[in-house]
Amino acid sequence: MTAPLIFLGIESSCDDTAAAVLRHVPGQAPEILSSVVEGQTALHAAFGGVVPEIAARAHAERLDHCVERALADAGLDLAALDGIAVTAGPGLIGGVLSGVMLAKGLATATGLPLVGVNHLAGHALTPRLTDGLAFPYLMLLVSGGHCQFLIAKGPESFTRLGGTIDDAPGEAFDKTAKLLGLAQPGGPAVEAEAALGDARRFAFPRPLLDRPGCDLSFSGLKTALLRARDALVAEKGGLTVQDRRDLCAGFQAAVADVLAEKTRRALQMYHDLAPSHPALAVAGGVAANKALRARLETISAEAGVQFLAPPLRLCTDNAAMIAWAGIERFRLGLHDGMDLSARPRWPLDQTAPALIGSGKKGAKA
Amino acid sequence: MRPDTLLAFDTSAAHCAAALLSGGQVWLRCEPMDKGQAERLMPLLEELLAEAGIGWSDLAGIGVGTGPGNFTGVRISVAAARGLALGLGIPAIGVTRLEALAHRLPRPITVIEDARRGEAYVQEFAAEPGPARITPLPVAVAGAVTGSAAPDGLPSALPLAQAVAEIALSRLSTPQPRPAPFYLRGADAAPPSDPPPVILP
Repeated sequence: MTAPLIFLGIESSCDDTAAAVLRHVPGQAPEILSSVVEGQTALHAAFGGVVPEIAARAHAERLDHCVERALADAGLDLAALDGIAVTAGPGLIGGVLSGVMLAKGLATATGLPLVGVNHLAGHALTPRLTDGLAFPYLMLLVSGGHCQFLIAKGPESFTRLGGTIDDAPGEAFDKTAKLLGLAQPGGPAVEAEAALGDARRFAFPRPLLDRPGCDLSFSGLKTALLRARDALVAEKGGLTVQDRRDLCAGFQAAVADVLAEKTRRALQMYHDLAPSHPALAVAGGVAANKALRARLETISAEAGVQFLAPPLRLCTDNAAMIAWAGIERFRLGLHDGMDLSARPRWPLDQTAPALIGSGKKGAKA
Repeated sequence: MRPDTLLAFDTSAAHCAAALLSGGQVWLRCEPMDKGQAERLMPLLEELLAEAGIGWSDLAGIGVGTGPGNFTGVRISVAAARGLALGLGIPAIGVTRLEALAHRLPRPITVIEDARRGEAYVQEFAAEPGPARITPLPVAVAGAVTGSAAPDGLPSALPLAQAVAEIALSRLSTPQPRPAPFYLRGADAAPPSDPPPVILP
């Protein structure tokens, strides 16, 4: 499959409704012709986290408008497309279903091929969209919903080295912001406070550092932060601005320490593959954290590995990455029928043992 | 395109239902199912069109049941309808389940439809439709009634998907908003119970 391809991408697995148009001519860098992302932060702000039913309601009524805007921004109509790629999971099922059904309607009406894409593959293949990175590379996916180390070996071939056994770091940042009365989303708010705080004042745990391997845990850190906050409130009836800065700094340092050490271990495992151009790439909203990014850059430099962080708009949820993952899948000769399922749980590495959700419904991610 | 040709579907409850109208003829499908509507809907529509010998490009419009009913089921059909409408360049028209149930019954009539959790969706249709509401059971109203929570009421005049199709076809000549789920029930989200800490000066 060496023909030039233009794909529409559709993404609705969490709280961003997104559509994008991407053109790829083999041998050239892919070109993002348009990328529309409509966030829902204001809809969920009052609830201290994403409410699945509210997200699903918004996606169902925004998706077709986003697709129209993406086509208009690209200056193309549907007839110019070669295929439609849509996130088919994992994620909040109400939103994923709306995206999948919209895509099925579009594909049926136009006769275009439909390609169901794993949202995590979208993130994991982004370094190839932005920088043409060659397989195999090491990927740290770190967001509000996910945290895992993957070796990307091919568009459909991923090996998970480890991941969180409970919460994702982005969720922990949001929870920290909520506990400390800071704005949502918590990542930027906590980072800004942390920059003014003393990370040594509070002794927060570094979960799972004493165990071998690359698995992570963040729920205990959240509890430790809650206890430290409650102790201060019990002592003086509230938090001072400096207390809050120090709590944020301590929390962020703990997250960075854990991710840095586990990244070091993942790099060792990756080195065993003897890649010709070793590279570590990050994706997900937490990868925007400057303190964390600086640590990862240092570790990569020490290990003699290229460090790659796509621009933020392609690190967080977007549809350009879904269009790209769809093109990569389509070039392998793969596409889907109208019976394509939306899947709340869909691990990229189907062979690795489940980290979360190991019940009868299977691994989450 | 044929001006009198319209395809309608509904997955707002435990079924996958569709009706095709063309040249005064009707083709119907209704498959009971608790889940799997998202996988079944498009193949079912393809089968119905094939049976009638009608192509997607022959359609003048899409009709879709917008609920109230199962939130996820309603979104499955509404999203598919909006995708088809965008792809075909034809309008998609939303019809509520309550409008469809009252269709072709003598008026005035009140639809009382089971909403689960001890509640019912209620709407009176006289010369004009009254406001739709959700209310605890039992519901006391004067006059003729219909619907799943009105055991002694009139049976509906048509299969649900056919009623949706007929109403949608009747609206095809006037501009309509895009179909949107008609929930009547809130999203069940509560603000967090623990207040943020006091920030001291």
